Amino acid sequence: MSTTIIDLSLWDLMTVYSLLLMSIGLAHLLKAGQGRDIFWSGLRMFVQLLLVGYVLHLVFSLQSALPVLLILAVMIGFAVQTIGARVQVKMPRFYRVVGTAILFGCGGMTFFFCLVVIGLKPWYDPRYLIPLAGMVIGNSMTGASLAVERLNAEFRERREEIETTLCLGSTVQLAAEPAVSSAFRAALIPSVNAMAAMGLVFLPGMMTGQILSGTEPLIAVKYQIAIMCVITGSVALTTFLILRLGYRSYFTSYQSLRED
Amino acid sequence: MSLTELLLAKDVTASRPSETGLPVRVLQKTTLGVNAGELLAVVGPSGSGKSTLLRLYNRLLEPESGQILLSGRNIKSFSPPVLRARIPLVAQKPYLFHGTVKDNLQASARLRRAALPDLQAEEIKGLIERCQVSPSWFDRDARKLSIGQQQRICLARAMLGPCEALLLDEPTSALDRPTADQMANSFRQLADNMGLAIILVTHDLRLAERCADRIALLLDGAVVEEGPASQILHNPQTAGARQFLMSEPIEHRGATA
Repeated sequence: MSTTIIDLSLWDLMTVYSLLLMSIGLAHLLKAGQGRDIFWSGLRMFVQLLLVGYVLHLVFSLQSALPVLLILAVMIGFAVQTIGARVQVKMPRFYRVVGTAILFGCGGMTFFFCLVVIGLKPWYDPRYLIPLAGMVIGNSMTGASLAVERLNAEFRERREEIETTLCLGSTVQLAAEPAVSSAFRAALIPSVNAMAAMGLVFLPGMMTGQILSGTEPLIAVKYQIAIMCVITGSVALTTFLILRLGYRSYFTSYQSLRED
Repeated sequence: MSLTELLLAKDVTASRPSETGLPVRVLQKTTLGVNAGELLAVVGPSGSGKSTLLRLYNRLLEPESGQILLSGRNIKSFSPPVLRARIPLVAQKPYLFHGTVKDNLQASARLRRAALPDLQAEEIKGLIERCQVSPSWFDRDARKLSIGQQQRICLARAMLGPCEALLLDEPTSALDRPTADQMANSFRQLADNMGLAIILVTHDLRLAERCADRIALLLDGAVVEEGPASQILHNPQTAGARQFLMSEPIEHRGATA
């Protein structure tokens, strides 16, 4: 039994791409009209991942902090942009609010894990920092879009309630509380469910990857547990920051609901 | 206009965003005030600026120019929550929080983080009675009561704070005639017995005549007539007022309480 992973040759990759051809064929058979999408998505994946592979290869060999931080910044930028594209109605100051929340929520949690828990040396070791940050940001992105969307829906649905509350002498913070807590719950549900189903329903990607590349399963399991805690922490902190910074944008400076 | 008005809008100008995106002026240098113990009815057609004016008094909206004074003090010098507890607004459609009638009556105190009122205390019992809320409803689910009962609870709920003036935005428009008349009696009593300054925005001229000390007619964002009900409704001085009164349904006119 080998302890290092078996490399895939170009020929191997072409073989698995034949499975996409099969999928296109099946889509054609059922007149699903999805053949084009499958083809282009498959091609995009190939090009994008190959590029990422080369960039990572380069960054790993450079052994310097700057390119690593640059990559993290690009990741955060893409995350904010993706959330912006996903969310239909944006709150005022949307990009500033979401950018700040992702930066401090995801950045804080990733560095906490790498520096305090793992004790990474050097602190910027890209082999750890980049994939971990990717997982943390990716999951927080989902949480953040859920939070932003839910907050907006709550403010629309609860307009009457919030205004009644204000008219009875409530502060905006208290008036927004039901909307904010409901948005927080919505954002955390995927992480909570993932933790509960972990190992039963699916073997998580990171653990699978580590086992494939020869890591002792028990170490892989410990890493998986740790990363799930970090992800949940990051989703919670990012969402909290978005909601705390974001709810005020629904109110005027004189503490009434903004007209829309 | 005297200087003693408890609540006064002075030369207020306000706009609203319209569907085209351009702001539309709804109030043009409007001045209107109410004294303690007085019930002022503001009448006028839809879009005349009545609701906008009402929402300026407790700072749900801000005027572009002019000012609102509470006991001679600009309302900007109060924190908005404190101001709104002193000048609560009761909306057209009653909104009750989840929970019992009692929960709702205590909501204002809870929201202001103040001590909950004792609903059995004599003074508070009297107040709740004036709003025609029955103590037998206290433990019932507030949202299961009739619209008329819900609106009376909203009135009592607003009153159970440090209330000095009351803003009523078409509070009876969802109610049938007898229920609306009962509420009008409550408004009258609150002004007479508690010395409240009340501004009642309404479409209903008959209701205004029934309970108001004074009526102000708002047309296109300006007060065109102001005075006792009998004068405004039966002896209008301006062509605009006469036209507005003509356009109102006959049953709303002439009838006296």
